[in-house]
Amino acid sequence: MPDREQVSSWLTWRKWPVLLVVALIAFAFAYVLFITKVQPFGGGNWRTTTFGSAVHDPSSFLKIVLDSLTFASALFIVASGFALIFGLMRTVNMAHGAFYLLAGYIAYEVQQGMTGQGFSIDSSNVNTWEWLVPLLVAAPCIMVVGLVVQQAFLRWTQGQELRQALITIAVSVIVADQIIAHFPRNTSQGQKFGGNAVDLTWPGWTDRFVNLHVGGVQYSLARLVVLAIGVAVGLGLWVWLYRTKTGMKIRAGVDDEKMTSALGINIQVTFAITFAVGCLLAALGAVVWASQSNISSGQDGQWLLNSLVVVIVGGMGSIFGAAAGALLYAFVANFSATYLPTTGSDCCTQYSTIVTFVLIALVLSFRPRGLFGRGA
Amino acid sequence: MSPSTWTRQQQVERTIAALALVVVIVWPTFGSAYWAHQILIETFLFGIAASSLIFLSAYGGMISLAQTALFGITGIILGNLATKGGPGGTSKGLHLGWDPTLALVFAIVATTIIGLIGGAVASRSTGIYFLMITLTYSVIATYTLGQVTKISGFSGIGGINRYTPGWIGDILAHPNRLYYIALGTAIVVYALIRFVVRTPFGISLQGVRDEPVRMSSLGYAVPLHRTLAFGLAAFIAALAGVLYAWWAGQVAPGDVDLPQTISLLIMAVIGGLVRIEGAWVGAFAFILMQNYITSNTHVPLLGFGGTLFGGSFNTIIGIIFLVIVVVSPDGLMGLWGRIFEPRRRSTEGPSIAAPAAEPTK
Amino acid sequence: MRRHKLRSWKAAAVLTLAVAGVSVWAATSLAASGARPVRVAIMTDCKGAFAFGYEYDIGGAQGAFAQFAGGKTKSHAKPSAGMTGIRAGNTPVQIVGYGCGNDTVPLAVTETKRLMEKLNADVEIGPLSGDEAVFTANYAKAHPTKTFIIGTAGSQDPTMQIHPRNMFRYYGDGAQWNAGIGEIAYKKLGWRKAAIIMDDYSFGWTSAAGMIADFCAVGGDIVKRVFPPLNTTDYAPFVRQLPNPNQVDGYFSTVGGTGTSAMLKAFEQAYGKLDPKQWIGNLFFGFLGADKVVAPKLVGAYVGGFGNMPGVHTPAADAYRSFMSKLYPKLPNDDSFVYNYYVGAKALVIGLQKSKGAVGVKLQAALPRALKSPFQISNGGIVKLDSRRQAIQDQYQLQLVKNADGSVSPTVVAYIPNVDQSFGGLFTPSSPPPGRAQPPCKKLATPWQGKIQVVTDGKVTNQVIK
Repeated sequence: MPDREQVSSWLTWRKWPVLLVVALIAFAFAYVLFITKVQPFGGGNWRTTTFGSAVHDPSSFLKIVLDSLTFASALFIVASGFALIFGLMRTVNMAHGAFYLLAGYIAYEVQQGMTGQGFSIDSSNVNTWEWLVPLLVAAPCIMVVGLVVQQAFLRWTQGQELRQALITIAVSVIVADQIIAHFPRNTSQGQKFGGNAVDLTWPGWTDRFVNLHVGGVQYSLARLVVLAIGVAVGLGLWVWLYRTKTGMKIRAGVDDEKMTSALGINIQVTFAITFAVGCLLAALGAVVWASQSNISSGQDGQWLLNSLVVVIVGGMGSIFGAAAGALLYAFVANFSATYLPTTGSDCCTQYSTIVTFVLIALVLSFRPRGLFGRGA
Repeated sequence: MSPSTWTRQQQVERTIAALALVVVIVWPTFGSAYWAHQILIETFLFGIAASSLIFLSAYGGMISLAQTALFGITGIILGNLATKGGPGGTSKGLHLGWDPTLALVFAIVATTIIGLIGGAVASRSTGIYFLMITLTYSVIATYTLGQVTKISGFSGIGGINRYTPGWIGDILAHPNRLYYIALGTAIVVYALIRFVVRTPFGISLQGVRDEPVRMSSLGYAVPLHRTLAFGLAAFIAALAGVLYAWWAGQVAPGDVDLPQTISLLIMAVIGGLVRIEGAWVGAFAFILMQNYITSNTHVPLLGFGGTLFGGSFNTIIGIIFLVIVVVSPDGLMGLWGRIFEPRRRSTEGPSIAAPAAEPTK
Repeated sequence: MRRHKLRSWKAAAVLTLAVAGVSVWAATSLAASGARPVRVAIMTDCKGAFAFGYEYDIGGAQGAFAQFAGGKTKSHAKPSAGMTGIRAGNTPVQIVGYGCGNDTVPLAVTETKRLMEKLNADVEIGPLSGDEAVFTANYAKAHPTKTFIIGTAGSQDPTMQIHPRNMFRYYGDGAQWNAGIGEIAYKKLGWRKAAIIMDDYSFGWTSAAGMIADFCAVGGDIVKRVFPPLNTTDYAPFVRQLPNPNQVDGYFSTVGGTGTSAMLKAFEQAYGKLDPKQWIGNLFFGFLGADKVVAPKLVGAYVGGFGNMPGVHTPAADAYRSFMSKLYPKLPNDDSFVYNYYVGAKALVIGLQKSKGAVGVKLQAALPRALKSPFQISNGGIVKLDSRRQAIQDQYQLQLVKNADGSVSPTVVAYIPNVDQSFGGLFTPSSPPPGRAQPPCKKLATPWQGKIQVVTDGKVTNQVIK
């Protein structure tokens, strides 16, 4: 909104806060890189942290950077689907988290069916197919569910952003509740644990450490696989959106829907494809992260929130924004959990989540459309 | 205005309102105690919270998901200030043991100030962006309550209802007092909103809702209007928060988390985001469903009845919510309005069915 | 206009009728409870992480009603189908409802009010989880004529800091369940320095408090405490805060329910394979489905107890098991979700017999302060309550063992007689409830120190753990 009001306010009240934020960011970097001192067992003052400065302990620092990158990668996979749908259709798909959860449980059932182990499976008993097939079953299932929702409820409400948000909230409430009623199905002794936490398992070859030959860091291959999948998704989306005809249509639709329709492009087909791909990304993210941690009821809300945060911070609807948002969110969340001072046995690293969300509110107060959002 | 100049809709509505008022006033004397102390009190207080949401939506064009957060913040402040600790006291919180009246005033004022600050930050956003920023507020509130264990922690603060101001007295021994306080507050809030929207501020707020750019060029401070409206809504939500803390006796992060935020939104949408009355209609409908569908476990085909874990309630709520949003985006009040007028009056505020303001590029 | 006005009056008349109808119906539904038996409500969870507890808890409570008060179950497969014909002495007892929580406080508020105010219960057996019990304790304080027997919640506050007169708990709290596990770590595994990772809420803290208190009491040191919030998406930054496996002797964990396996996976990805000799978990390593998900990775690890004694046979325990397996064959009767509700309901029957059906303060005075309890060995099998109506109960510490069929389950390896809530004076009504920094790590003398008896092949031996 580049109106008179804001131009003038830039000169007056916005100057100091910006300087303050820049100073804070500079301090945060300096703190992590040089200032902190190691105090691994807690206690100390504002300068003491679990690892000490990056200069002092580069290998811990590098591991946390890698943790952040791999977490960002998972966030990006899920959130890019959300961003894609919003970018083209301006639909805030509040059922994205519920689709994530459904995909995770479907994949779990398929993997259990293939390996027949019951609940916990050692990764040495899982081969690549037994991981890929669950993904290849879950993803189309979610695409179909998503398409049904889109065609039945969203197609004719196109353009009514809030109404679509409300419709998808209703869908997510129903889907999440039905998941608790029916999953996980693989139970023993007549016990039923509705919506209980269950594990998907990575294939056995990922269960080792890779020597990175930098500072003697050994890093988990499974997490590097997450990173690789995230990068591949990013590249794939870029090629699809910027090097193919469908992608061109989508980008045209994002810029001017009416004009695109007037040019004879069937925007409804484009919408349907986009929505399906968005759901596919939720499913892929679910299979990846359920293998990395686990899947349980309640994570629908978590991942809806994760997607929202990434997309809000990065700038609604842009794939680059989603990548930037995922990186910022993951780095702040991981570094505040590991590099906040340890001044006593109950301070301060557990406040990492609050720090993360306050940061997001700060970003939004300076850039209401997010880092890569248009306008503002 | 005499009744003869009222429109037919006004006649019917005012008759119903008067009757409903009489019924709720005499209810504790003649009706079931459970209805009075559970369903109706809950309707009043969640209706107040929902009315703050509807006020922002109908007259400010902003859908706020922060109302539950403000509601919970009031309760937590009140709980920390008013309760006492030590053996036999409440086990969580700061236990400052203030005078309950002082604590009450402080909690409401503090929440209003927090609302004004939050409103100022969010005031430059509209439509879906505003919804998301306020969602961020609600998430911050949930995590702050959950993780700052000195003030709350995951289990929240309990026993707040034992520390009510002297001029109210013991609401545990005399639950009807809380009933009439909640009823009175609901009426005052309704009257307050009706009054505010007729003041010059309220009228220019509606102008800001419809034509922000034009209002801005006419010299109106658009963000200031939004901020003040948000502050007023925070004040109203704070009143609901106090009533909730007294009614439930506790406030916990679970009262402000995402499902609870969505529940309040559902109440407002069921009632209809265009008219203040919808807040109580929606809250009543939601709470009735919550109380009577939970015990019904024999609905076929949806996975409950036979299995335990289908919280049948959520699926049914979800379906009802879906039907309402699809059939009548203006909720029950919208349906009601259609009986009288096939065409909606434009003065009643924008419908969520109308395309939201295009984001400025 | 005139016609319109007339119509509106017709509408008003219809509406008045409707409103009157609803009020009459609501009023009669309440008045229907004329000559009343004792009204009992069973509060448990049917949603959320502990949803499975619904049938377990109801089955446990109804088991005692069937055994001691002549109750007839409507279904042997599904306890929640109901039970009729319960008579405690000459007093008929009616189960008026089952509460359905989701281990969060707001739903506990709604459900408790529904049971106690709508269904007008005199006595509640429940709730299931710790934070619900903290709320219920505050609620009990405000409603002194109602009586509350805690179901299977493990938080310390209800009977320690809040301790309302009308609240009873006939089993140990979450800290008591872990009594002795620290000494086992110190003596059997040789731990001296350990780190602890705990869920950041009251059950996680209470459970951790038992481990910390016990381990520090014998001279161990907790060098680091890490608190991942509930529902953490990525546990990596939290396990990174734990010291390296070569810096400490071992790790205690009270990360529960949904997070256990995610946290352990993150640990493996940071530090390599799990060593069962370096890990001690609380009940989340061996119960609540963890026997399938987590336990197979940790065969041989010690696990904090749950107040129950899987695999130990005494005449009282076996009599209880055989009765329960006839009544509800599908329920795992050794599980404390079943057992704790069972002992609560048993105490209620005895109390009602003594009070001759009186409820309220008379029932509270009549509820037993000493109860013959199937999983108790010391004092001739009698659990005693302390002055705040909290049980002093035997505890059993466990180890994960692989069974012949390949499954992994917790088995009792140690017996700790008469564990009280205070841990040798560490916890008092004026001490803060367990938290991130509470209790501090302190060497002290617990009553059971040096008296932990070895259990082998289900038999308590005279040998103590050295």
